[in-house]
Amino acid sequence: MLAGYDTLITTIALGAILAYSFHVVLMAGQLSLGQAGFASLAAYTSTLFVPDQPLFGSLSPVLIGLPVGAAVGAAAALLLGLPVLRLRGVFLAIATLAFGEMVRVFMTNAEWTNGALGLRLEKWATIDLVWLILAVLTYLFWRLGPSRTGRAFAAVREDELAAGSMGVDVVRTRMTSFMASGAIAGVYGVLFTYFFGRITPGAFDFSMTVDGLVTAVLGGYLIFFGPLLGAGFLTAVPELQEALGFDAGWIHPLLTGVLLLAVVLYLPGGLSSLAARLRPRRTPTPPQDTAVDDLRPLPEPGSTVARVRGLGKSYGAVQAVRDVDIDLASGEVLGVIGPNGAGKTTLINMLTGLEPPTAGEGDVLGVALGSRGGAHRYAQAGVSRTFQHSKLFGRLTVLDNVLVGTHVVSRGTYGRRLVWLPSARRDERRATRLAWAQLRRVGLADKAGLRPATLSYGDQRRLEIARALAAHPTLLVLDEPAAGMNHVEAAELAELIRSLAEDGITVLLIEHNVKMVVDTCTRLVVMNFGEVIAEGEPREVISDPAVIEAYLGADETGEPEYA
Amino acid sequence: MLQQLANGVFAGSIYALFAIGFTLVFGILRQLNLAHPAIFTGGAFVGIELATRLGLPLWALVPAVAAVGALAGVLLERVAFRPLAGRDDEHFAGLISSVAFGGILIAALQARYGTEPRSFPSGYFPNRLFEFGGISVTLMQLVTLGLALVLMLGLAWLVSSTPMGRAMRAVAENPRAAKVLGVNAGLVTSGTYALSSALGTVAGALLALNLGQADRDLGASIELIGFAVIIVGGLGSLWGAMAAGLILGIAEAMTVSYFDSTWKGLVPFALLFVILVLRPRGLFGAVKVREV
Repeated sequence: MLAGYDTLITTIALGAILAYSFHVVLMAGQLSLGQAGFASLAAYTSTLFVPDQPLFGSLSPVLIGLPVGAAVGAAAALLLGLPVLRLRGVFLAIATLAFGEMVRVFMTNAEWTNGALGLRLEKWATIDLVWLILAVLTYLFWRLGPSRTGRAFAAVREDELAAGSMGVDVVRTRMTSFMASGAIAGVYGVLFTYFFGRITPGAFDFSMTVDGLVTAVLGGYLIFFGPLLGAGFLTAVPELQEALGFDAGWIHPLLTGVLLLAVVLYLPGGLSSLAARLRPRRTPTPPQDTAVDDLRPLPEPGSTVARVRGLGKSYGAVQAVRDVDIDLASGEVLGVIGPNGAGKTTLINMLTGLEPPTAGEGDVLGVALGSRGGAHRYAQAGVSRTFQHSKLFGRLTVLDNVLVGTHVVSRGTYGRRLVWLPSARRDERRATRLAWAQLRRVGLADKAGLRPATLSYGDQRRLEIARALAAHPTLLVLDEPAAGMNHVEAAELAELIRSLAEDGITVLLIEHNVKMVVDTCTRLVVMNFGEVIAEGEPREVISDPAVIEAYLGADETGEPEYA
Repeated sequence: MLQQLANGVFAGSIYALFAIGFTLVFGILRQLNLAHPAIFTGGAFVGIELATRLGLPLWALVPAVAAVGALAGVLLERVAFRPLAGRDDEHFAGLISSVAFGGILIAALQARYGTEPRSFPSGYFPNRLFEFGGISVTLMQLVTLGLALVLMLGLAWLVSSTPMGRAMRAVAENPRAAKVLGVNAGLVTSGTYALSSALGTVAGALLALNLGQADRDLGASIELIGFAVIIVGGLGSLWGAMAAGLILGIAEAMTVSYFDSTWKGLVPFALLFVILVLRPRGLFGAVKVREV
């Protein structure tokens, strides 16, 4: 029955494997289109290693070629990634595309590849082998989803800055996805070559890249079985069309185009999101007990958290921050106020590793300012922050947003999940408990299954705080958390900040709401034009005439209100 | 040698004309329009059809093809880009939906014209050869170069000195602020796609005139070179795309004369790669400000 369909069935599997090499980079938000180059290099290299006799009398010689192909693909991705992964978006896409074309031209001109005519090979890759490899890949991606690594991929895809501030090593995560893509593309190249028994440079061209990308997007890159669905659909369309008696050559590309357009416009998550929608939506249930007792203790009250001297930042001729000294002791709530453009956000961007200072020195929790490596190193040392314009992970649920926050206080689980070690499950549960505890703390436990965009503005701010708290921070940096909140919400927030301080968390608070700052802070710094103009006990500072002049306006009298 | 240089300039003028539509859309709307090669191919077929059926002479053919291209551009914007406006993944989704639109367009061309190459009627354009100091140039090449220059300079003038151009630049700078200030952003967006596609179709028709024929891979063959041109010139830079088109055309022609012609394909990509790694904003691109 299936006899006549061997090639068709294998084509589905090969298409899905190719699509996985795009899936893995799209999962991490990288538009990388170098897969044709990786596949070509891997396939040609494997022809040098694959023996021409079955192994041990019966095993397919491709079993030698597959690891060679994966290794060559990953190595090529690493070498290409070192210079090009600085690029983003279309720039990355075009640079990787150029790499693929260069490989093609090179292979066409090399002697040992027999140029454009290519080489004839034995058809060592059988339908069983191709499907076995696809099954392994599907398994790998199924286990990746709810692991710490999978969440890091998603976080980088949704917002690199926020991911870095939650302790995810963005550069490494991008490189990992890039190399995985290279390895899978390499495996695809080897299987493709030995299934059809022929290799030519032209097989790995731009149209192959487009096919892979289209399959991955059609299937959807947010769910692990997307590539399978995409490949199945794209292969089934011409078959169906033939069965219905339309055999004109233009109908197939037309149907593919229309299908793809419809999916992009009306089904942003791809076909797999449709399949996922059929399942009843589960609302996450909170665990009874959210206690996690193995977190490291916070430092003793009064010990130094941050100490910086002469901190400055200039953008060209503009001096955003100049000559700022900050000392922060454990248990303090330090407020920073100042008019718009006073340099407050630039100051905390420097203190959390998002921007290197151009002058001054100091350290935050032992990490020297301006040291290389990026924001995740500060996060790992115990700094956690929120953003002035909330940077939530839009396509993750509220609970998953907070789970990303646990990154720095949990261990990687992907490897252990692959072999079903019970400890991986324990660690995942622990992270979940930690996340739920923060959701309860900020009062969002009943919204755990929603998307951030459906939350009210005030709830989004609280979600950011919950996510930052999930990292069990020593220093919590809040950038205008009350902006856009009404006075009831702002009062609740003030209460929350005070309770965090009682737990021993050091808080650095940037805020415009003067009453809230006075109510919560133990010390206040006022900035204007990039400089500190006053510092001290909050009530004294805000009655300083210079501060009133600069910030509140000279004619301001009376008690400030919650805005 | 000089002959190769001249050939490079002619090839480069078509590259530039193709790429300028690409870069116009990216520069103003931050969108990479992957349907552009299909529009280019469509321009070639429409040109052949109009020349064959109606016998339009070249001076009438070019505006007619451009008008069809502008309509296609408006349709493209309505179908593939406008429905995505405001979505989180707008730019990525636009990339894919434009691939889909391009695929549909090519399928439609295939339905009408089949898979065989189509040719302009024989003797459609006089095959005259000129000699200038040892260089031989066809009349077609001269016309192509002249038209390309006129169109590119015209576009540059339109963008820099007309109210429409000012509105386009305002949208490029800050779409929301432009809207608040009363710029009809929808019209500007449609207009940008119309202009870009009109230039693309004319470029396609010109290439087909130079080759004498067109097939449905015409756009795909120039697409990757187009990427190279817009990156080398700096994404979004009109003058950059013009200069880079000529540079790449000349560099390719030189490679052919010094190396094997099969290595020609490497030149644009090697150049593009080096530029992207060393100077991502391209030779003429503006400095990109990092957003925090």
